[in-house]
Amino acid sequence: MKPLFLAATLAAALFTLPTLSVAATPEKPECVAPAKPGGGFDLTCRIIQTGMLEAKTLEAPMQVTFMPGGIGAVAYNLFNTTRTDDPNAVVAFSSGSLLNIATGKYGEWTEKDARWIATAGTDYGAVIVKADSPYKDLKGLMDALKADPSSVIVGAGGSVGSQDWMKAALLIKAVDADPKKMRYVAFDGGGESIAALLGGNIGVYTGDLAEMAAHLEAGTMRVLAVMHSDRLPAPFDKIPTAKEQGYDVQWAIIRGYYMGKKASDEAYNAWVELFKKSFESDAFNKVVKDKGLFELKLTGKEMEDYVMQDVAKLRTLATDMGLIEVKK
Amino acid sequence: MADRIFAAITLLVVMAYGWAAFMLIKAPFQYDPLGPESWPRILSVVAGLCCLWIIFKPTVHEFDITKNSLVRIALMVGLLIGYAYLFEHMGFIIATALYCGASVKLLGGNVKQAVIFGVVTSVIGYLVSAKLLELNVPAGVFKNLI
Amino acid sequence: MDVILSGLGQGFAVALQPFNLFLVLAGCFLGTLIGALPGIGPINGVAILLPIAYSLGFPPESALILLAGIYYGAEYGGRISSILLNVPGDAGAVMTTLDGSPMAKRGEAGRALSLSGVASFVGGSISIILMTLFAPMLAAFAVKFSPADYVALMVFAFLSLAALVGKSAVKTLLAAVIGLMIASIGVDANTGVMRFTLGSPDLMAGIDFLVIVIGLFGMAELLHLVESYARGTLKTLPVDKTFVSWADLFAVKWVMLRSSLLGFIVGVLPGTGASVASAVSYGTEKRLAGESGKSFGTGDIRGLAAPESANNASAGGAMVPMLTLGIPGSGTTAILLGALLLFNITPGPLLFEQKPEIAWGLIASMYIGNIALLIINLPLVGLFARLLTIPQQYLTPLITVLAFIGVYSVVGNPFDLYMVIGLGVLGWILRKLEFSLAPVILGVVLGNLFEDNLRRALSMSGGDWSILFQSVNSWALYGLAFAVVALPLVMRYFKRKRQASAV
Repeated sequence: MKPLFLAATLAAALFTLPTLSVAATPEKPECVAPAKPGGGFDLTCRIIQTGMLEAKTLEAPMQVTFMPGGIGAVAYNLFNTTRTDDPNAVVAFSSGSLLNIATGKYGEWTEKDARWIATAGTDYGAVIVKADSPYKDLKGLMDALKADPSSVIVGAGGSVGSQDWMKAALLIKAVDADPKKMRYVAFDGGGESIAALLGGNIGVYTGDLAEMAAHLEAGTMRVLAVMHSDRLPAPFDKIPTAKEQGYDVQWAIIRGYYMGKKASDEAYNAWVELFKKSFESDAFNKVVKDKGLFELKLTGKEMEDYVMQDVAKLRTLATDMGLIEVKK
Repeated sequence: MADRIFAAITLLVVMAYGWAAFMLIKAPFQYDPLGPESWPRILSVVAGLCCLWIIFKPTVHEFDITKNSLVRIALMVGLLIGYAYLFEHMGFIIATALYCGASVKLLGGNVKQAVIFGVVTSVIGYLVSAKLLELNVPAGVFKNLI
Repeated sequence: MDVILSGLGQGFAVALQPFNLFLVLAGCFLGTLIGALPGIGPINGVAILLPIAYSLGFPPESALILLAGIYYGAEYGGRISSILLNVPGDAGAVMTTLDGSPMAKRGEAGRALSLSGVASFVGGSISIILMTLFAPMLAAFAVKFSPADYVALMVFAFLSLAALVGKSAVKTLLAAVIGLMIASIGVDANTGVMRFTLGSPDLMAGIDFLVIVIGLFGMAELLHLVESYARGTLKTLPVDKTFVSWADLFAVKWVMLRSSLLGFIVGVLPGTGASVASAVSYGTEKRLAGESGKSFGTGDIRGLAAPESANNASAGGAMVPMLTLGIPGSGTTAILLGALLLFNITPGPLLFEQKPEIAWGLIASMYIGNIALLIINLPLVGLFARLLTIPQQYLTPLITVLAFIGVYSVVGNPFDLYMVIGLGVLGWILRKLEFSLAPVILGVVLGNLFEDNLRRALSMSGGDWSILFQSVNSWALYGLAFAVVALPLVMRYFKRKRQASAV
């Protein structure tokens, strides 16, 4: 069965090849991770490095280079100045980068200053408590927060205005309380937050779902809700969504790639096609899953629309919450 | 005198730092009573007092350096800046060859030594770091050759 | 206990397979080389070599054993450039320069290298044994450690470091504050507000610690060498054949033991690693040495053994929360965690039940790696020491090239090359004016930890300062801090009394 299926996909790939030949594959593909090695952006680049090789959409592994600095601002800056028309390089980004754009942390550059190519995949926000926490479901927690927003210490791996904080603030807003009234502790990344949760120093952790995979089975923590519209595949299928518990709080952490604003249509389309082809391959999808992401396949126009809408949404949110000062 | 000049310059920097801490830094809102501004404010005050103390009671009076040393130090800093610039724009090999050659000359070697050392260091350095250890060093103009 | 013994047995069976044994040795050797490069320490060594290890297609336990070897090797290698070139090999090796470099300069490079090799071995071994025996218990302790407790730990660290006061107390204080000010540049971790970035994206994430270390130490040393040359006081050292003696080891046995324990505990705590461990142990040992501690900083073997035992012990300690809870407590373990995930292995409470061959194989390979490193490193001491016989006109530019490779390959931002040069000039001037550079570095290391945790604790309590004095851990640390300050005074008092009565 399996070889047959493989042959069929191969044949299908070969069949569609002639129509694709308009857009040549990038000559010297490169993925820029705008951070030091080992972080989330590194992972985002590794997904296409291994994924495209295993999907056989690229013959040689693409080069991964690192460009740390200023939470991605250095790379965004560079791809708006010296490398703005580079046809070969894509840069990894995440929802966090979009939030930075929305809150003006990338300076003069906005979401319109890049060409958004495709997504790698996505992760979803999760509301997590320790296994012996008094809160058995989201309602219990939300009732407590409604009665007194400062009664529960919320902690997560980012500063005020970061994605992790946004998740907490959205929860509080769902019970019509003021995010400024909650008790929020910013840790340095997910690892320290989980340590604080396990040690009882914080009551709730607004983290990401995929990192919980390792901990679900151990039973040391309980995920009260996932911040998505639908339930997710196993092993997360037992976790209810916030929506089905009566609180419509959603937060997706997408990961994807962009290139410079002045990249030619030809180069841009070549990358889009490369992603489209890769998305069809099971081998590629397996790599995405193995690296702890859920599938989300946006490319080309769809992708650009998503980014525009998302940044606009984030900008409204940030203004609502008083993160951006309204210019007089 | 040397101490006093240094402390005075540092005091100016500290005052600029303190000005930013007292006047500019402010969070839209915060969960801790200190906020992003209190810690730098404390630092600027302590640093300022230290500088004033040194200005009034300096311990090092002479900046013990000869003109010859100063010239060579300045040349070296110039070389380093040039190296950083070429490192980025022309790649490791050329930048290293030029820098090493020039340094050997600066430190008293002859032309032959400079050339040999420059070429050997740059090529071996590149092979070991980029090829053997797979470090991220810029290939620069040789990008398409190697 | 039986579980541990049988687990270890199983682990050694995996690690002692000829191929795996070869990988440990290869990893240790490669790690030592990469760690010896200024700036590239275990974090970056593992991160850089991880994709290679993965692409070789080894079975997971073999690949992990290779990575563990590299991790340990890099931890050993960091001391080499600290001692020989006065340029710290990585963040944890900063304190090693203080006494290691003076020893090399007076012709005892071999003795310093071999002594620090043994100290590293002792630190590494003690931490692995402690990890094997008490890992689950320690992990429970580590997660309970609250932000308020970290504040107490920082108070302890600052007080033990007050021992570093050089010729002028005001200058030491100013140096530390300069370090704290440098650390405050960048995005504030609590509120996300930019501080002192001057609108430059290059400064947003702050100045990388590596850049500060290479700049203040490496480049400043370079300028110092140029100056010595111009004065004509620069001389190439003769080949030295010194080696550590049994008497040396005997003299520092308690130093190594204490520092290993201290380093291990600091390593277990998430967020604090080799740099804090080595700094605190150095300060503590200097305090404990009392009057004789005056020779610290001039090539005292105790000042060399303390930080080297501590930083290697902390490397083992950092593995505890990662293996038992799946929580990366440091940069390096975050990368090792990533490596485990890459092989579809999820560390955590169930790792030892589900994949014992990997968990115990990894631990066994650390035992072997440690011994292997000692065996590899001791004979190489002579070879490394010969590095100093390279004529200065070649050695000086070589330092730059190594530093540039380190900074560029790790940080990857050309801006930081200029930053390194600027900090080098600052470091050289500070040295000329008799400031000591160690307090600057410690300010940078401890500054953010102190500020962030203080503000975390206060946001947890809603602004109530009494949270700082509520836990047993905090009180214990304040007690220790007090003891570190008071003990030398008490000891001096009794000594004087005894002398008085003797007369």
